[in-house]
Amino acid sequence: MSQNTEPDKASFSATRVFLRGVILTLPLSIAVIPWGILAGSLAVEAGLIDFQAQAVSAIIFAGSVQLVGMGLIKAGASLTTLLLTTLFLTSRHLLYSATMRSRISHMPIHRRLLLGFLLTDELFAVCSHQTRKEFNFWFAFGAGFSFYLIWQMATLGGILLGKSIPNLDQYGLDFAVAATFIAIVLPTIKKLSVLITVVIALVFSVIFSVLNIEGGIIYSSLIAMSCGYAVSIIRKEAL
Amino acid sequence: MSWSTLLLMAAVVFISRYLFLEPRLPLRLGPKILHFLHYTGPAALTAIWAPIVFHREGELNLAINNPYFIAAIIAAILAVTTRNVLLTTVLSMALFFMTRYLLTATG
Repeated sequence: MSQNTEPDKASFSATRVFLRGVILTLPLSIAVIPWGILAGSLAVEAGLIDFQAQAVSAIIFAGSVQLVGMGLIKAGASLTTLLLTTLFLTSRHLLYSATMRSRISHMPIHRRLLLGFLLTDELFAVCSHQTRKEFNFWFAFGAGFSFYLIWQMATLGGILLGKSIPNLDQYGLDFAVAATFIAIVLPTIKKLSVLITVVIALVFSVIFSVLNIEGGIIYSSLIAMSCGYAVSIIRKEAL
Repeated sequence: MSWSTLLLMAAVVFISRYLFLEPRLPLRLGPKILHFLHYTGPAALTAIWAPIVFHREGELNLAINNPYFIAAIIAAILAVTTRNVLLTTVLSMALFFMTRYLLTATG
Protein backbone atom coordinates (compact mmCIF):
# COMPACT_ATOMS: atom_id res chain seq x y z
CA MET A 1 0.00 0.00 0.00
CA SER A 2 2.87 2.35 0.87
CA GLN A 3 4.24 1.93 -2.66
CA ASN A 4 1.12 3.56 -4.03
CA THR A 5 2.63 7.03 -4.57
CA GLU A 6 -0.20 8.64 -6.49
CA PRO A 7 0.47 7.13 -9.91
CA ASP A 8 -1.30 8.57 -12.91
CA LYS A 9 -4.29 6.24 -12.82
CA ALA A 10 -5.06 6.70 -16.52
CA SER A 11 -1.65 5.32 -17.50
CA PHE A 12 -2.36 2.03 -15.74
CA SER A 13 -3.96 -0.60 -17.90
CA ALA A 14 -6.96 -2.36 -16.42
CA THR A 15 -4.94 -5.58 -16.29
CA ARG A 16 -2.20 -4.06 -14.17
CA VAL A 17 -4.64 -2.59 -11.70
CA PHE A 18 -6.53 -5.89 -11.63
CA LEU A 19 -3.31 -7.75 -10.83
CA ARG A 20 -2.48 -5.25 -8.10
CA GLY A 21 -5.83 -6.09 -6.52
CA VAL A 22 -5.09 -9.81 -6.79
CA ILE A 23 -1.66 -9.43 -5.20
CA LEU A 24 -2.73 -7.17 -2.36
CA THR A 25 -5.49 -9.63 -1.48
CA LEU A 26 -3.23 -12.67 -1.72
CA PRO A 27 -2.42 -12.77 2.02
CA LEU A 28 -6.13 -12.83 2.78
CA SER A 29 -6.84 -15.37 0.06
CA ILE A 30 -4.17 -17.68 1.45
CA ALA A 31 -5.40 -17.19 4.99
CA VAL A 32 -8.96 -18.06 4.00
CA ILE A 33 -8.05 -21.45 2.50
CA PRO A 34 -8.45 -23.40 5.78
CA TRP A 35 -11.73 -21.57 6.37
CA GLY A 36 -12.96 -22.59 2.89
CA ILE A 37 -11.91 -26.18 3.48
CA LEU A 38 -13.93 -26.06 6.69
CA ALA A 39 -16.98 -24.68 4.84
CA GLY A 40 -16.75 -27.48 2.27
CA SER A 41 -16.32 -30.28 4.79
CA LEU A 42 -19.12 -28.95 7.04
CA ALA A 43 -21.49 -28.84 4.07
CA VAL A 44 -20.74 -32.50 3.40
CA GLU A 45 -21.15 -33.29 7.11
CA ALA A 46 -24.52 -31.50 7.01
CA GLY A 47 -25.61 -34.05 4.41
CA LEU A 48 -25.39 -32.01 1.21
CA ILE A 49 -24.43 -33.75 -2.00
CA ASP A 50 -21.06 -32.62 -3.40
CA PHE A 51 -22.47 -30.47 -6.18
CA GLN A 52 -24.78 -28.65 -3.79
CA ALA A 53 -22.01 -28.21 -1.23
CA GLN A 54 -19.97 -26.45 -3.93
CA ALA A 55 -23.01 -24.39 -4.99
CA VAL A 56 -23.36 -23.09 -1.42
CA SER A 57 -19.93 -21.46 -1.76
CA ALA A 58 -20.53 -20.39 -5.36
CA ILE A 59 -23.89 -18.71 -4.74
CA ILE A 60 -23.90 -17.63 -1.07
CA PHE A 61 -20.16 -16.85 -0.85
CA ALA A 62 -20.19 -15.89 2.86
CA GLY A 63 -18.05 -17.83 5.31
CA SER A 64 -19.88 -17.23 8.58
CA VAL A 65 -23.33 -17.71 7.02
CA GLN A 66 -22.18 -20.97 5.44
CA LEU A 67 -20.56 -22.36 8.59
CA VAL A 68 -23.41 -21.46 10.95
CA GLY A 69 -26.00 -22.31 8.28
CA MET A 70 -24.61 -25.81 7.76
CA GLY A 71 -24.68 -26.37 11.52
CA LEU A 72 -28.34 -25.30 11.61
CA ILE A 73 -29.24 -27.50 8.65
CA LYS A 74 -27.51 -30.46 10.30
CA ALA A 75 -29.55 -29.75 13.46
CA GLY A 76 -32.76 -29.62 11.40
CA ALA A 77 -33.59 -25.94 12.01
CA SER A 78 -36.65 -24.39 10.35
CA LEU A 79 -36.42 -22.18 7.26
CA THR A 80 -37.42 -19.13 9.32
CA THR A 81 -34.62 -19.72 11.83
CA LEU A 82 -32.18 -20.25 9.00
CA LEU A 83 -33.13 -17.03 7.19
CA LEU A 84 -33.26 -14.89 10.35
CA THR A 85 -29.85 -16.18 11.40
CA THR A 86 -28.55 -15.46 7.90
CA LEU A 87 -29.93 -11.93 8.14
CA PHE A 88 -28.27 -11.33 11.52
CA LEU A 89 -24.94 -12.78 10.44
CA THR A 90 -24.92 -10.88 7.17
CA SER A 91 -26.24 -7.57 8.51
CA ARG A 92 -22.71 -6.20 8.88
CA HIS A 93 -22.54 -6.17 5.08
CA LEU A 94 -25.15 -3.40 5.20
CA LEU A 95 -22.52 -1.31 6.96
CA TYR A 96 -19.90 -2.21 4.33
CA SER A 97 -22.30 -1.36 1.55
CA ALA A 98 -23.17 1.99 3.16
CA THR A 99 -19.46 2.72 3.67
CA MET A 100 -18.71 1.91 0.01
CA ARG A 101 -21.74 3.78 -1.37
CA SER A 102 -19.83 6.94 -2.28
CA ARG A 103 -17.22 4.88 -4.15
CA ILE A 104 -19.43 2.39 -6.02
CA SER A 105 -22.97 3.75 -6.48
CA HIS A 106 -22.07 5.92 -9.51
CA MET A 107 -20.72 2.91 -11.46
CA PRO A 108 -22.69 1.17 -14.25
CA ILE A 109 -25.12 -1.48 -13.03
CA HIS A 110 -23.07 -4.55 -14.00
CA ARG A 111 -20.08 -3.26 -12.05
CA ARG A 112 -22.23 -2.41 -9.03
CA LEU A 113 -23.83 -5.85 -9.04
CA LEU A 114 -20.47 -7.55 -9.41
CA LEU A 115 -18.76 -5.63 -6.59
CA GLY A 116 -21.87 -6.01 -4.45
CA PHE A 117 -21.80 -9.78 -4.90
CA LEU A 118 -18.08 -9.86 -4.09
CA LEU A 119 -18.30 -7.52 -1.05
CA THR A 120 -16.98 -9.83 1.66
CA ASP A 121 -15.26 -8.90 4.91
CA GLU A 122 -11.98 -9.37 3.06
CA LEU A 123 -12.78 -7.19 0.05
CA PHE A 124 -14.06 -4.54 2.41
CA ALA A 125 -10.89 -4.83 4.51
CA VAL A 126 -8.66 -4.33 1.45
CA CYS A 127 -10.67 -1.38 0.07
CA SER A 128 -11.87 0.30 3.24
CA HIS A 129 -8.82 2.53 3.65
CA GLN A 130 -8.74 3.75 0.08
CA THR A 131 -9.95 7.24 -0.62
CA ARG A 132 -12.64 7.86 -3.20
CA LYS A 133 -9.91 8.83 -5.67
CA GLU A 134 -7.73 5.78 -5.01
CA PHE A 135 -10.64 3.38 -5.34
CA ASN A 136 -10.70 1.64 -8.71
CA PHE A 137 -13.13 -0.89 -10.15
CA TRP A 138 -10.44 -3.14 -11.59
CA PHE A 139 -8.50 -3.16 -8.34
CA ALA A 140 -11.61 -4.15 -6.35
CA PHE A 141 -12.64 -6.68 -8.99
CA GLY A 142 -9.15 -8.24 -8.97
CA ALA A 143 -9.25 -8.45 -5.18
CA GLY A 144 -12.81 -9.77 -4.97
CA PHE A 145 -12.72 -12.17 -7.91
CA SER A 146 -9.40 -13.81 -7.01
CA PHE A 147 -10.70 -14.22 -3.47
CA TYR A 148 -13.88 -15.79 -4.89
CA LEU A 149 -11.93 -18.29 -7.01
CA ILE A 150 -9.74 -19.34 -4.08
CA TRP A 151 -12.83 -19.72 -1.90
CA GLN A 152 -14.30 -22.08 -4.54
CA MET A 153 -11.11 -24.14 -4.75
CA ALA A 154 -10.77 -24.32 -0.97
CA THR A 155 -14.39 -25.44 -0.71
CA LEU A 156 -13.75 -28.15 -3.28
CA GLY A 157 -10.73 -29.25 -1.23
CA GLY A 158 -12.92 -29.40 1.87
CA ILE A 159 -15.58 -31.44 0.05
CA LEU A 160 -12.96 -33.96 -1.07
CA LEU A 161 -11.10 -33.99 2.28
CA GLY A 162 -14.17 -33.74 4.48
CA LYS A 163 -15.06 -37.34 4.06
CA SER A 164 -11.64 -38.71 4.96
CA ILE A 165 -10.83 -36.20 7.73
CA PRO A 166 -13.88 -35.97 9.99
CA ASN A 167 -14.20 -33.05 12.43
CA LEU A 168 -11.93 -30.81 10.44
CA ASP A 169 -13.24 -27.99 12.66
CA GLN A 170 -11.32 -29.37 15.65
CA TYR A 171 -7.88 -28.46 14.28
CA GLY A 172 -7.78 -24.73 15.03
CA LEU A 173 -7.91 -23.59 11.41
CA ASP A 174 -10.08 -20.65 12.48
CA PHE A 175 -7.02 -18.92 13.85
CA ALA A 176 -6.10 -17.93 10.28
CA VAL A 177 -9.03 -15.51 10.19
CA ALA A 178 -8.14 -13.99 13.56
CA ALA A 179 -4.50 -13.57 12.51
CA THR A 180 -5.41 -11.89 9.23
CA PHE A 181 -7.91 -9.47 10.71
CA ILE A 182 -5.54 -8.56 13.54
CA ALA A 183 -2.93 -7.87 10.85
CA ILE A 184 -5.35 -5.57 9.00
CA VAL A 185 -6.92 -3.75 11.94
CA LEU A 186 -4.06 -3.02 14.33
CA PRO A 187 -1.91 -0.91 11.95
CA THR A 188 -4.96 1.34 11.33
CA ILE A 189 -5.01 2.42 15.00
CA LYS A 190 -3.52 5.88 14.74
CA LYS A 191 -6.08 7.87 16.71
CA LEU A 192 -7.60 7.45 20.16
CA SER A 193 -11.09 7.18 18.67
CA VAL A 194 -10.04 4.18 16.58
CA LEU A 195 -8.32 2.56 19.57
CA ILE A 196 -11.50 3.00 21.64
CA THR A 197 -13.53 1.52 18.76
CA VAL A 198 -11.31 -1.57 18.66
CA VAL A 199 -11.30 -2.08 22.45
CA ILE A 200 -15.09 -1.68 22.75
CA ALA A 201 -15.68 -3.98 19.76
CA LEU A 202 -13.39 -6.57 21.34
CA VAL A 203 -15.08 -6.49 24.75
CA PHE A 204 -18.66 -6.48 23.49
CA SER A 205 -18.17 -9.04 20.71
CA VAL A 206 -16.66 -11.48 23.21
CA ILE A 207 -19.43 -10.85 25.77
CA PHE A 208 -22.16 -11.32 23.13
CA SER A 209 -20.44 -14.42 21.79
CA VAL A 210 -20.14 -15.98 25.27
CA LEU A 211 -23.80 -15.16 25.93
CA ASN A 212 -24.67 -16.78 22.58
CA ILE A 213 -26.40 -13.63 21.35
CA GLU A 214 -27.35 -13.99 17.70
CA GLY A 215 -26.06 -11.09 15.61
CA GLY A 216 -23.41 -10.18 18.18
CA ILE A 217 -21.04 -8.94 15.46
CA ILE A 218 -23.42 -6.24 14.24
CA TYR A 219 -24.48 -5.16 17.77
CA SER A 220 -20.91 -4.89 19.03
CA SER A 221 -19.84 -3.11 15.81
CA LEU A 222 -22.56 -0.48 16.19
CA ILE A 223 -21.78 0.06 19.89
CA ALA A 224 -18.05 0.37 19.14
CA MET A 225 -18.61 2.72 16.18
CA SER A 226 -20.84 4.93 18.33
CA CYS A 227 -18.18 5.10 21.05
CA GLY A 228 -15.42 5.86 18.50
CA TYR A 229 -17.59 8.54 16.92
CA ALA A 230 -18.40 10.10 20.30
CA VAL A 231 -14.73 10.16 21.32
CA SER A 232 -13.70 11.82 18.06
CA ILE A 233 -16.39 14.49 18.50
CA ILE A 234 -15.42 15.16 22.14
CA ARG A 235 -11.72 15.36 21.26
CA LYS A 236 -12.44 17.27 18.03
CA GLU A 237 -10.25 14.81 16.11
CA ALA A 238 -9.74 15.52 12.44
CA LEU A 239 -10.92 12.70 10.18
CA MET B 1 -31.04 -28.80 1.86
CA SER B 2 -33.43 -27.67 -0.86
CA TRP B 3 -32.34 -25.41 -3.69
CA SER B 4 -34.98 -22.85 -2.73
CA THR B 5 -33.50 -22.63 0.79
CA LEU B 6 -30.05 -22.12 -0.69
CA LEU B 7 -31.28 -19.40 -3.07
CA LEU B 8 -33.19 -17.61 -0.29
CA MET B 9 -30.08 -17.54 1.92
CA ALA B 10 -28.05 -16.25 -1.04
CA ALA B 11 -30.65 -13.53 -1.70
CA VAL B 12 -30.49 -12.32 1.92
CA VAL B 13 -26.69 -12.13 1.74
CA PHE B 14 -26.64 -10.42 -1.66
CA ILE B 15 -29.27 -7.82 -0.77
CA SER B 16 -27.40 -6.82 2.38
CA ARG B 17 -24.20 -6.39 0.34
CA TYR B 18 -25.79 -4.54 -2.55
CA LEU B 19 -28.54 -2.41 -0.96
CA PHE B 20 -26.60 0.85 -0.38
CA LEU B 21 -24.66 0.53 -3.63
CA GLU B 22 -27.92 1.16 -5.50
CA PRO B 23 -28.04 4.85 -6.54
CA ARG B 24 -31.83 4.84 -6.85
CA LEU B 25 -32.10 4.16 -3.14
CA PRO B 26 -33.33 7.57 -1.95
CA LEU B 27 -30.64 8.27 0.59
CA ARG B 28 -27.94 10.88 0.99
CA LEU B 29 -25.14 10.09 3.43
CA GLY B 30 -24.24 13.34 5.19
CA PRO B 31 -20.81 14.14 6.71
CA LYS B 32 -21.86 12.90 10.17
CA ILE B 33 -22.96 9.52 8.83
CA LEU B 34 -19.78 9.24 6.73
CA HIS B 35 -17.69 10.05 9.82
CA PHE B 36 -19.58 7.36 11.76
CA LEU B 37 -19.04 4.83 8.94
CA HIS B 38 -15.32 5.60 9.08
CA TYR B 39 -15.25 3.26 12.13
CA THR B 40 -16.88 0.32 10.34
CA GLY B 41 -13.56 -1.35 9.47
CA PRO B 42 -11.90 -1.45 12.91
CA ALA B 43 -15.22 -2.23 14.66
CA ALA B 44 -16.56 -5.03 12.44
CA LEU B 45 -13.25 -6.75 11.77
CA THR B 46 -12.42 -6.75 15.52
CA ALA B 47 -15.90 -8.08 16.33
CA ILE B 48 -15.07 -11.00 14.04
CA TRP B 49 -11.60 -11.87 15.32
CA ALA B 50 -12.03 -11.27 19.07
CA PRO B 51 -14.53 -14.11 19.74
CA ILE B 52 -12.37 -16.53 17.74
CA VAL B 53 -9.53 -15.80 20.18
CA PHE B 54 -11.32 -15.44 23.53
CA HIS B 55 -14.44 -17.58 23.22
CA ARG B 56 -13.11 -21.10 23.16
CA GLU B 57 -15.10 -24.32 23.51
CA GLY B 58 -18.20 -22.55 24.74
CA GLU B 59 -16.60 -20.40 27.39
CA LEU B 60 -14.55 -17.27 27.97
CA ASN B 61 -10.87 -18.15 27.90
CA LEU B 62 -8.52 -15.40 29.08
CA ALA B 63 -5.93 -17.91 30.32
CA ILE B 64 -2.37 -17.48 29.16
CA ASN B 65 -2.27 -21.16 28.15
CA ASN B 66 -4.93 -20.49 25.51
CA PRO B 67 -2.93 -20.94 22.29
CA TYR B 68 -5.30 -18.57 20.45
CA PHE B 69 -4.52 -15.86 23.01
CA ILE B 70 -0.74 -16.40 22.88
CA ALA B 71 -0.67 -16.40 19.08
CA ALA B 72 -2.99 -13.37 18.90
CA ILE B 73 -0.60 -11.37 21.09
CA ILE B 74 2.26 -12.33 18.77
CA ALA B 75 0.13 -11.45 15.74
CA ALA B 76 -0.64 -8.06 17.27
CA ILE B 77 3.04 -7.33 17.88
CA LEU B 78 3.99 -8.49 14.38
CA ALA B 79 1.16 -6.49 12.81
CA VAL B 80 2.23 -3.26 14.44
CA THR B 81 5.97 -3.75 13.86
CA THR B 82 6.00 -5.24 10.33
CA ARG B 83 2.71 -3.86 8.93
CA ASN B 84 2.81 -6.86 6.61
CA VAL B 85 -0.40 -8.88 6.55
CA LEU B 86 1.04 -12.02 4.95
CA LEU B 87 4.11 -12.18 7.19
CA THR B 88 2.01 -11.57 10.31
CA THR B 89 -0.49 -14.24 9.35
CA VAL B 90 2.06 -16.91 8.40
CA LEU B 91 4.33 -16.41 11.43
CA SER B 92 1.53 -16.25 13.99
CA MET B 93 -0.15 -19.31 12.43
CA ALA B 94 3.09 -21.26 12.68
CA LEU B 95 3.47 -20.18 16.31
CA PHE B 96 -0.16 -21.03 16.98
CA PHE B 97 0.18 -24.62 15.78
CA MET B 98 3.48 -25.03 17.63
CA THR B 99 1.96 -23.75 20.89
CA ARG B 100 -1.06 -25.98 20.48
CA TYR B 101 1.14 -28.98 19.86
CA LEU B 102 3.35 -28.24 22.87
CA LEU B 103 0.39 -27.62 25.18
CA THR B 104 -1.20 -30.91 24.10
CA ALA B 105 2.07 -32.82 24.38
CA THR B 106 2.75 -31.59 27.91
CA GLY B 107 -0.86 -32.13 28.88
